[in-house]
Parts: sequence; structure tokens; C-alpha cells
Amino acid sequence: MANYGMAFDYKLCINCHACEVACKEENGIDLGAKNHRLWIQEDGKVEGDFWNLDRNKMNFMQMQCQECQDAPCLKACPNGAIYIDNNRIVRLYKERCDLTLACMKACPYEARYIDEKNHITDKCIFCADTRLSRGEVTTACQITCPSKLRYFGDLDDKESEISIVLKERTYFTLKSELGTKPKLFYLE
Amino acid sequence: MKRIETSRRKFLQGSVALCVYATSSFSFTKQKSSRSTFENIPYLCNMCRNKCAGFAQVIDNKVEKLNPNKYFPKSRNMLCPKGNAGIDALYDKDRLKYPLLRIGKRGDGRYKRVTWDEANEYIKDKLVKIIDEEKDNRSTIAYCNGEGFNKDEYIKFFGSKVGSSNFLDEGSICLNTKLGATQLTLGDIGEMDVSGSDYLIISGANRYESLITPDSVDMIHSKQKLIVLDPRCSVTALKADEYLPLNPGTDLAFCLSMIYISIKEKLYNEKYVKNYFKDFDKLEKHILKHNYTAKWAESKTHIPSKKIEQITKEFFSAQNPLYYLGRRSVWAQNDFQLRRAMVLINALAGSVNKKGGIIFGQPFIIQDEEINEPFYNASAGRFDLDGIVYGSQKGGSWLNFREKVINKMSPYPIRSMFIRKHNIMQNMPNISKTKKMLNMMDLVVVFDTMPSDTAMMADVILPECTYLEREDMVVSFNRLEPSLALRNKVVEPLYESKSMQDILKDLGKKLSKPLFEISLKYDEDLQDSIKEFGLENSFIDGGYDLAELYKNNVSMRNKKLIFKQFGEDIYNSLKTKGVWHPYIDQEKELYNNYYEYYPKEKRYYTVDRKYKVNCYLSKLKKYGFDPMPTWHSNYDFSLTDDSFRLITGRYITSTQTASTNNSMLRDFKEQNNVWINDKVADKLNIKEDDYIVLSSSINSIVIQAYPTNKIAPQVLWLAHGFGTSSEELTNAYGKGASDNLIIEDRFEKIYGCATMHETNITIRKL
Repeated sequence: MANYGMAFDYKLCINCHACEVACKEENGIDLGAKNHRLWIQEDGKVEGDFWNLDRNKMNFMQMQCQECQDAPCLKACPNGAIYIDNNRIVRLYKERCDLTLACMKACPYEARYIDEKNHITDKCIFCADTRLSRGEVTTACQITCPSKLRYFGDLDDKESEISIVLKERTYFTLKSELGTKPKLFYLE
Repeated sequence: MKRIETSRRKFLQGSVALCVYATSSFSFTKQKSSRSTFENIPYLCNMCRNKCAGFAQVIDNKVEKLNPNKYFPKSRNMLCPKGNAGIDALYDKDRLKYPLLRIGKRGDGRYKRVTWDEANEYIKDKLVKIIDEEKDNRSTIAYCNGEGFNKDEYIKFFGSKVGSSNFLDEGSICLNTKLGATQLTLGDIGEMDVSGSDYLIISGANRYESLITPDSVDMIHSKQKLIVLDPRCSVTALKADEYLPLNPGTDLAFCLSMIYISIKEKLYNEKYVKNYFKDFDKLEKHILKHNYTAKWAESKTHIPSKKIEQITKEFFSAQNPLYYLGRRSVWAQNDFQLRRAMVLINALAGSVNKKGGIIFGQPFIIQDEEINEPFYNASAGRFDLDGIVYGSQKGGSWLNFREKVINKMSPYPIRSMFIRKHNIMQNMPNISKTKKMLNMMDLVVVFDTMPSDTAMMADVILPECTYLEREDMVVSFNRLEPSLALRNKVVEPLYESKSMQDILKDLGKKLSKPLFEISLKYDEDLQDSIKEFGLENSFIDGGYDLAELYKNNVSMRNKKLIFKQFGEDIYNSLKTKGVWHPYIDQEKELYNNYYEYYPKEKRYYTVDRKYKVNCYLSKLKKYGFDPMPTWHSNYDFSLTDDSFRLITGRYITSTQTASTNNSMLRDFKEQNNVWINDKVADKLNIKEDDYIVLSSSINSIVIQAYPTNKIAPQVLWLAHGFGTSSEELTNAYGKGASDNLIIEDRFEKIYGCATMHETNITIRKL
């Protein structure tokens, strides 16, 4: 029983893709650019001409399911296939999913993709099937990251590193105006 | 509030819809016991040169996942994308599985499966004939090995035991100028303490896309000011505090100006210079005489003079400044003196044998096992360093070697090549010449894990197992925070692949007596020895048993060696944690899985060492070269309007051509494309993904364009590691283009290193 969340020290990202490979290997995600539980996205671009570049408008952003506390995908699913598990992670009853794709359309973060192997819509579940189920409080992306920019842990535990980081630093969430209340935080 | 457009990675070319996950589709069958076994085995990565440490999660003898190893100071508890994708190297469907014997013409890819004994028998028959015809001159066999563990063991076999002088490695197509420049200037190759530096200048090296541990990781976690000079705005440049775009090949002008300003304005560390510099007066006079002012450097580099002055002042007033010496170096003819200038800048700031500088440190020394080396009177010396001032006696000069062989200028013919972990058909400029060289051989044997372009030129292909399928001899790492690390075997070798030691053991057994017979025929000293001591004694005592080193397997040898020199506890640490260092039980987590290894006061920042900083190298003067770093007008970056300078680099997801077929890594970058300045592309009506032809004086390639503002107008950049010609690499074949088809084969004469960034290119839209 925990309330898992993740915080990103996003400016440290060098876009090395280690997190993406680790995730695919850990969770057996099919190859192919469209199949992924997480991805790094270039936000903004380098402007100006070569001898006078403005590099400050570009960042590498860690993108994945934002673990909304008010999850649009859960509300949208006509089959009731989406639920919140004991660790407050948005999960899927795989056998109830019949690929209506309503969740994909509802997700403002485009966090889901179609898992053609299992005929479901898949997304990041914080390695719940692998690491968390073995009792490890880590995710594959977090543990491998050279920048150590991914803080993962129990938001309800005041002593957890993520709670401390969120207390000490300012952060933002994505598309906060939608009221989805994400549990993924981007540290400034 | 922040808005991020969340469009998916649609910008990646094409989805790979039909590809299936490599490990789950892997069909290697194994009897499953009723209960699954779960193991976590420490290993050392081999996806690139770094040797990061990891733990392999193994379930029922199948590697399910690779994770970082928190105990290793060098890799700092991380695995990069390549390290994570090591599983796909192990289970690559295209791997070499059995010994193969060529049945078609060289290069046409037709082979038949043979047994190990048949392969060794074939090699023996060919070698006996060659060495007999060459009257026991063992140097007629050339042998090569790229970067990696086991190289020294391989040298012991073909060099010490078989007796050839002609060993070649990656040094002359990689970093020998940098190693040589540091060695000759400071008397040691040293190590750069990136973690301790508070001001770091990186010129051309790209530590965030070509990861070197611990340097790259230390850059992320240290708070130093980072200055990057590059003709391309790489990710390293993107992340720098200051990015100084410059003309390619003009870094030396920047360095000379830094030296000039530091001397002229007395910014250098006078106490250090007084105590350690040799011939400083010569350097001072030389630099001032040439007037390498910031204004002068601006005219060469395109970096504003004010900026050069500012950086120089900041560098020399920093507590622990470091001018990064690079790794893969050798871009141009001036490379040796460029690296020397970098070393001298560090030394002028007193950043030697001190925190944040070039440190000497204190590495663990592992004693070598003794072997009995035969002496062959007829074995001739190497010839590839003729005309080279210094050169590496160990790994030689590839381009000089190849040139002499194909032009029949070598003092004796090279008739056979043994090639291991070295894709020579892709890794050096002007591939057509390498092909020509291999076609001249009577016997080409390739040891590899993959059917590389080079393997396709072999007469005999010997399938070696991957790094996850073998134990290697214990290795000592690093100087500031030294450690020992051991590559443990994770799973048994797949198919009929074997470790190099096992391959050489069987080959050695097969070759020992027949090759001894040839020496007996030609070597009078050996004949005398037999008269005196008898045949059997001369064979054994003379060291002619080629398999001697491999009598015991690596695991037993490690145990004996580590027990003897370091003791049982350290051996146990290496077997269970993969690593040992004196503070391994006191490691402290600083934050979020990032650890401190050696306590700061225990790191070897400064050691007791007598040394001098050599400003002036008289040997160079004697051979007609600059004894000190000097600019010459032919170093100027000047091109005709319609031509471009080609520079090369790496994507973070590929390591040269070794990872080219890796299905996971190809998922991120399937092919390379050529970076071209956006405005220039506009003028030429070249749009993204247009096919363009790049032509140099030697060849042409076709490649898709990537117009961007992140590259200088007269420069083209493309990543190495693509454009493979082996159809057996089914993921890689036909994807992207090979840089070395068009890079002209020139080498500098100080170390005989290939100068990779001197080729001018014309382009045409297809």
C-alpha cells in the first residue's frame, strides 16, 4: 500500500534513451517507435543561425502516463477496465479491454499505445508487474538513468526522497489547467 | 503552468511494425525444471569501450534484464541505452553460431558449416604452407584486435607464442595522439578528473552522445562551468554553459591563443611553472614570437576575440580548471600538437597531479602470469612505423601498414591475417584499400560474434561467444578511485560459440607441433638446442607449446591469481559484487541512487611523483617536425564555395559498427543521415530526407539529408556505424551510409594515426 509518484529533475536529461531501452527490456514492450510506455520529447527548439544559436529554449522532457488522480481514461472506458490499484497506480483489467480506444482518446498526454501482442491499450504502470511485484521500490527507467533525474517513491511517506524533494523544490505538472491532478512532477 | 505538446515520437522514421521483441521470440530451447531459478549475476558490459558494471537477472539460464551495478566507482550505478540493449546482442538472431569455411569467392558470403576441428585443421594446413614458404618468418602473419578485454591474451598467443611482430589495434584510428602527447609531455598518460574540476573546456569531444564513464556522468552531476567548442551543436554543446561554435580543425588556434594570453598577461601558475616546467623559456619565446593573440585566433576559429580572452581569464582564475583532452582524437595533421597544447594549458594552470586536473593517481597493478616465450630467429620486425616519429610499438599504424602491404613495399610479404573484434572493413578510411589488402592474403581468419563486413572477407570464421557468456581475466580500473572488476560468466555460450581462450587453446594444440617442425627445419639455434637437450625438452622448455597459457581455464586462473595477489575476500567480492575497492562496504548514497565511492580525503588527487612538463620535444625537431605546438597556414579552414568539410561522430545508441545490428538500438536510430546547415540546404533546395550524393576524391555515398541550424555552413556531419555491406546482418544491411567509404586515407606522421576530419566533399541532390 503506497501512493507512488515520480518527479523529474528534467533539465539534467541528455536524451540518452537509457530509460526507454530499460523500460522496453524490463516490460517486454514490442519494438517500434509507436510502442512505448515512456519517451523523451524535445520541447522547444534551438533557434537562430548557427553562429548565434539560442539554446535556452529547448529541453528534453520525460513523457509517460502522468498517473492522474482524476484520470480521464478511467472515466472514459465503457467497459470499466481501468482501475486504481493499491499503490494508487492507474491499471487495467486486461481481460476487460476490448480496444474501444476510448482511453487513448481521453488521455490528454497521449500516454497510451496499442499493445498488439496482448490486444490491450498499454501505458506506464511504474513497473508494477515486475519490480514492484518483487518488492523493489524502483522502476527500470529510474535505476538505470545516468543523470539520476527520476525520483520515484511513496508520496504519502513524508520521509521518502520524492516527498522531501517535492517539499524542497518548486515544480510544475503538465496541463494542470485540465484538473487531472497528475502525480508526475517536473522540478524547476 | 507549463504546456508541452505531447505528440508521439512520430518524427522517428517509420515504425518497425513487424519486428518482434527479440528476447521473447528467442527460440533457444532448454529443458525447464519445474521450479524457476532466479539469479543476479555481476558482469561487465562490453557494448562499448567503457566496461560499466551490471547485474544480469537470469531466470532459468535466460538473461531477462540487465541492471546497473552500484558498487563500481567507474560507472556510477548506471547503464546507458547500449548497456541495456546487451540482451539483444546475446540473443541476436544473426549471430555467428558455428565455425564456417568459405566456399565462394571472398566477399560473396558463401560459407559452409564445419566442426571446430575441421576449421582448425584448415587453418593449420594453410599456415604450415605459408610459414614454410616464408622460411619460418612468423611475422608474415599479421594479427589485430580492437579495443577490449583479452587483447593482451591474444597478443600473447600470436605475438609471444606464434612469434609475429605485426600486431595492429584501434589506437592508430582512435586516440594514440592524445595518449602520446600526454605521455611525452608529462611522462604519463594520466587520467582526467572531471568530477573534481570546477571549470571544464571540452573541445570537439561529445561526452553526452559518446559516453565515457565516469567522465560523462561526472559532468552531469558536477556543478562545474562547462565550455564546449564544436563545429556542430551536439547535445554536449546544448547542455554547456557556453557554446563556442568554431571552424573545424581550428581548435589548436584557440589553444595557442589561450597559451599566448596566459603568458602575455602572466595568468599562469608561476610557482608550478617554476617547479615543473622544462624549457618554459623556449615555449614563452615561441608563443610570443608567433603573436597568437585573441584577434589572430578569431580569424582562424570564428570565435570572437573577446570571448577567447574571457574564457582564458576564467580558466586561469578557476580553482580546479580542466581542459579536456578528448578521447577519439586524430582529426587532422596537427592533432598531436593540438593534444600537447591542451596538456600544456592544464599544466600552465597547475592542473596536473591535483584535484580537477590531469591526475597520475594510483591504479592497482595486476601482476602478469608468466609464460615461456619461444625465440624465432627468422621472425622479422614490424615495418609499419617506418617514417613515423614515435608511433605505438604495441598497436602500430594501420594506414601505414595497409599502404605498405597493398603497394608491396613491405620488406617481406604479409600472407595471413587473424582478425579479432576489429571490423577493419568498416573502421578505417578508404574501405576499398582494406578490401584490396585482404584479397592479397592466402589466409584470413576472423574471430567475431557477428557476421560483420570483415567476417565476410574471411576464409575461416570462428564464432566467439559474447561478453555475457564468459569469464574474463580480472581488470584494474582507474587511478583516482581505483578498483578491481571481474567479468563473470552470466550464461553458458550459445550454439557452438566459444571464448577466445578456448578457441586459442584448441588452435594452439593443433598448431604447436607442425609449426615447431618448421622452426626445426630453418632455425639453427633450435637445431643446436635439440642436439644438446633433446627434442621433447627443447619443445617444452623452449615454449613451443602454444596452448600453454590456456591449460587452465580462465576461472581457475582468476582464482589463483586473485588469491595470490589480493586474497580470498577480494576474490569473493569480485565473484558476488563484480567489483572490489577498499571502501566498498562504506559506500554512501548521496541522493537518488547516486553514490560516493572513495571518501574525498582518500582519493588519489595528488601522489608523490617526480616529473617534468616537457615543453620542447627535440626528437621532433630532429625529424623535421615542430618541437612545440605551432600553427601553419595549411591548417587554416578554407574551402571552395561548393565544397564541405566532412566530420563524423556517434549517435548515443550506437558504438561504431559493433552494435549496428542490435534490434533494440536500431529501434531508436535505424539509419544515419547527414547534417547540413539549414540555410545552405535551402539554397541548394535540399529538404529533410532528400537523398543526396556525397563525393570525395575516393568514392561517393548516397544518404538522406538532415538540414539543421546546429551545424556550421561549410561542414557536413554524419554518424559512424551505418552502411554495412554484409547481407548477413539482416537488421543493418542497406540502412544508412558508411563514412569510411568516402573519408580519404591520410595519416599524421608523429603517431601514424588516420586523420579522420580532413576530407572535403561535394554534394549533389539525387
